[in-house]
Amino acid sequence: MSAAENAFGEFVAARATTLLRVAYLACGDEVEAEDLLQTALERTYRNWERVRHDSPEPYVRRVIVNAAISRARRRAILRIIPVRTPPETPARSTDVDLRHLLMDALRALPPRQRAVIVLRYWEDLSEAQTADVLGCTVGTVKSQASKAMAKLRTALGEASVEGVIGNAHA
Amino acid sequence: MPTLEERLRQIMTDETAHLHAAPDLVERVIRSSRRRRRQGRLAALATSLAVVAAAPLYVAVAPGAMQAPAISETPLPPPPIDDTPPLPSEPPSLGDLGDGREFGHVKVGYLPDGLRWSHWSADLGDRYTTAWNYDGDSGGFYCVQIHVYEGAAVQMADDQVRAHRDEGEGREVAVGDRSGYLVVEGVGEDGMEGTPTLTLDMGERRRVSIMFSPTYAKKFPDATAVDHELIRIAEGLTADD
Repeated sequence: MSAAENAFGEFVAARATTLLRVAYLACGDEVEAEDLLQTALERTYRNWERVRHDSPEPYVRRVIVNAAISRARRRAILRIIPVRTPPETPARSTDVDLRHLLMDALRALPPRQRAVIVLRYWEDLSEAQTADVLGCTVGTVKSQASKAMAKLRTALGEASVEGVIGNAHA
Repeated sequence: MPTLEERLRQIMTDETAHLHAAPDLVERVIRSSRRRRRQGRLAALATSLAVVAAAPLYVAVAPGAMQAPAISETPLPPPPIDDTPPLPSEPPSLGDLGDGREFGHVKVGYLPDGLRWSHWSADLGDRYTTAWNYDGDSGGFYCVQIHVYEGAAVQMADDQVRAHRDEGEGREVAVGDRSGYLVVEGVGEDGMEGTPTLTLDMGERRRVSIMFSPTYAKKFPDATAVDHELIRIAEGLTADD
């Protein structure tokens, strides 16, 4: 292996699992997440000499998230993939039920809103960093996050999810 | 008591805890990149050989004068082993469309400046589609997408237009001597402006929808400019039958 390949290999070894998890949360499918990650890493590898001098992880993350949004949009336009919807009468008796309910609601979000939630609340990116990844304004990130959180609350069928969570823990 | 944000964070962490990158990921990425480079070189070689092979058509003076050009003695590499799992939901593509200006039965006479074929397409039989963007990257955002409905699928396009018309959304437009319907489609992609779409009537057997991504549409000064450009693309659409 060349020095560049070694450096690339070290980066992948250190960060690939985290990036795979981002991909999974962005697209909601394990197989597609692996494909998204590999595609993003191939693109990164092709541009490695340029990317390595900056921080490569934001570059890969940006490719993954935008590719996931792009694919989801195409599917929406093609109307070949039924949109997953949260169950109408979810059971909320346990913590596990609540987890499934929220994950289903997360998957049902429009892809850009889902990406905002993943980047903000799982990757802990700031609003400005999230805007940079998605190529939009901070204002858009704020509005998308607000809409997404409202939908998640609505999907749970409660004005305030905290009460449900409290019950689940009770 | 945790907030929704805290709860989401914990749930996302739990949901992904079992996921780990494959140990051979680096090798797969590097191998795939090399394979793409090799295929690119072979494509370039094939193009140059095609040019060499075509040249005798102009200079040959006697039957049998054309001979196969001498090709490199280097044997072709073995077929690549594709160990990338196929996407479960991606439909077949239309293949290599070159600049993408001709696909299926449709020819695209006009596209805005700066767009390249995205190398992405989908063939759904009586529906097919492709897209253009800035960098020609199949994994990137699309700027313009054209979706063709033929045969039985025409009804699907007509139903969509009818639904918008019934809701009072969109408007009829004249596209030369043809008709079209302009609307901003909400495809659920981002919860924002939606997708400006013009569906063109190309006769009994064909409808064509031209779509701008919401991001691309923002490049234009206003909705009127977007509509104008959609109509211009529609005007340039022709069919080969």
